[in-house]
Amino acid sequence: MDFFTTKNLTMKFGGLVAVNDFNITLEKGEIVGLIGPNGAGKTTVFNMIAGYYPPTEGAIVFQENIIGGKKANEITKLGIARTFQNIRLFTELSVVENVMIAYHCRIHSTFIGAVLRLPLYRREEKMMYEGAMEYLREVGLDDLALEPSGSLPYGKQRRLEIARALATGPQLLLLDEPAAGMNPNETQELLQLILRLRDNHNLTIFLIEHDMKFVMQICERMKVLDYGTTIAEGTPEEIQNNERVIKAYLGEA
Amino acid sequence: MEEHHRRNQILTVIAVGIGLLFLYGAQEYATSYQIRILNNCALFVILAASYNLINGVTGQFSLEPNAFVAIGAYTSALLTLTPAEKQLSFIIEPIMWPLGVLHAPFFISLLAAGVVTAFVGFLMGFPVFRVRGDYLAIVTLGFGEVVRVVANNTQTITNGPLGLKGIAPHTNLWWSWGIAIITVFFIARLVRSSFGRAMKAVKYDETAAEAVGINAFWHKMLAFTTSAFFEGVGGGILAHLITTISPTLFTFFLTFNLLIMIVVGGLGSTTGACIAAIIVTFGGEYLRFVEEPINFWFIHIPAIPGMRMVIFSIILILMMIFARNGIMGTKEFSWNWVLNKIKPVKIFLRKKP
Repeated sequence: MDFFTTKNLTMKFGGLVAVNDFNITLEKGEIVGLIGPNGAGKTTVFNMIAGYYPPTEGAIVFQENIIGGKKANEITKLGIARTFQNIRLFTELSVVENVMIAYHCRIHSTFIGAVLRLPLYRREEKMMYEGAMEYLREVGLDDLALEPSGSLPYGKQRRLEIARALATGPQLLLLDEPAAGMNPNETQELLQLILRLRDNHNLTIFLIEHDMKFVMQICERMKVLDYGTTIAEGTPEEIQNNERVIKAYLGEA
Repeated sequence: MEEHHRRNQILTVIAVGIGLLFLYGAQEYATSYQIRILNNCALFVILAASYNLINGVTGQFSLEPNAFVAIGAYTSALLTLTPAEKQLSFIIEPIMWPLGVLHAPFFISLLAAGVVTAFVGFLMGFPVFRVRGDYLAIVTLGFGEVVRVVANNTQTITNGPLGLKGIAPHTNLWWSWGIAIITVFFIARLVRSSFGRAMKAVKYDETAAEAVGINAFWHKMLAFTTSAFFEGVGGGILAHLITTISPTLFTFFLTFNLLIMIVVGGLGSTTGACIAAIIVTFGGEYLRFVEEPINFWFIHIPAIPGMRMVIFSIILILMMIFARNGIMGTKEFSWNWVLNKIKPVKIFLRKKP
């Protein structure tokens, strides 16, 4: 059984076909990229996998669970976490609270237990706090734990969002343009971070990115979308030399 | 995780102790008018703190508390009235069967008021939380009106417009403030727990909350049902405080008052809601003079009933312009903050020769 598969995934908005017959299979531990020009339907693919859009047609299977049509929070609990293209932190809350919120789906206490501070809840609260700090240490934000997350600079907000996604305990991580808006230095740091996280947490990573240098360096395999259709797939070298990909990006000569 | 946790707990216990001593003094020596105001304060602390849970903390702008208070008030009143009293009251049509014979002590009636109201809130949550934002406000506003109209027309249950009279005046300062303390304790702890954090996440960004595995619907339901429970209990306190209830008591005006409180206190701050409930209740009493005829030198102003509401509305408008976050914003009262404020004073005093 494959780790993660989509079969003929299709999304139509009225008459517009945003994504057409998208097929992908991910093996455990891979880093796979999804690229394509603006409006190609990349984020729509993510939104379907993460449960924000019910696919019009097709199936998504994750570790023998059919997840097409499930709600976003249920899918997160099954082990698929995501970050957003436009960072979506709880900006009014502190950095550590942002990560602790992501831990909430993993606790077993009831709200009565939480109000009465029963032993189980106390243990879990401690676990949430320590776990959150551990994730922050991994992404290098532990010294900013009590700052309001909205006050962090852009690059750190991105890393916080990744830490928050990790705190849900995922096996598959969907990163939507993690390197957007970063300078070359930050991009290199992010690259190291992603590789390190993959090894530490046995993650499989599926990412959308426009920064070609970054994608070519980090991905083992990639897929190219244009107008909702898959136009190419293969290793970075194959993609770089693919006629159709060059055409899609640069237009016809 | 929090600094000086133990010390702060002790300070809270001491503060509550001083409050209880004050209540003891008030119960013994205060005039009945003063006791009435203190009871009102407690009542509004209960209602505002629980209303704030759904409106402020979870960010679901809803307008139904008058309905929940009404359900709680009727439930507990029908339970504490003796069967004989009920038979006397229901003169147009006799009371429905099980309600006529049921009778329970005050505490049980309060509990029943909470449970019944929470159950209604729970059922209501299913349709209501299919919508968000403005639509949610309108749907819940409608629900508030429906309950009032139903209360007006179900002669065999609520005695219709005649209302219920002669309810035993069980509510004293111990009951009202006791329940208020329990309510605030429960809600403050809920808000500070993992569940409270999840509710805040739903408020700030529902999409992101779902992405980190929070079931937004069930957390809204939790906030809504908890809020309904305590508003129902508050309704029971209210019924046994004023001893006569009728549908006219539970108009949107009550919700509006609570809304003022939670906005003045700072949406999302439980302690802010409590402080505001006390300020608004006292303020309302203090401002009574504006509704009486005023003779100021040669200017004669006749009595204007409702003038207090005009002043409250003006205050609310000014707050929305100049201090949108209310007294506390989304922050909570904390001993650390108070002691940090006191510290410079101490150092200043010590420096004096």
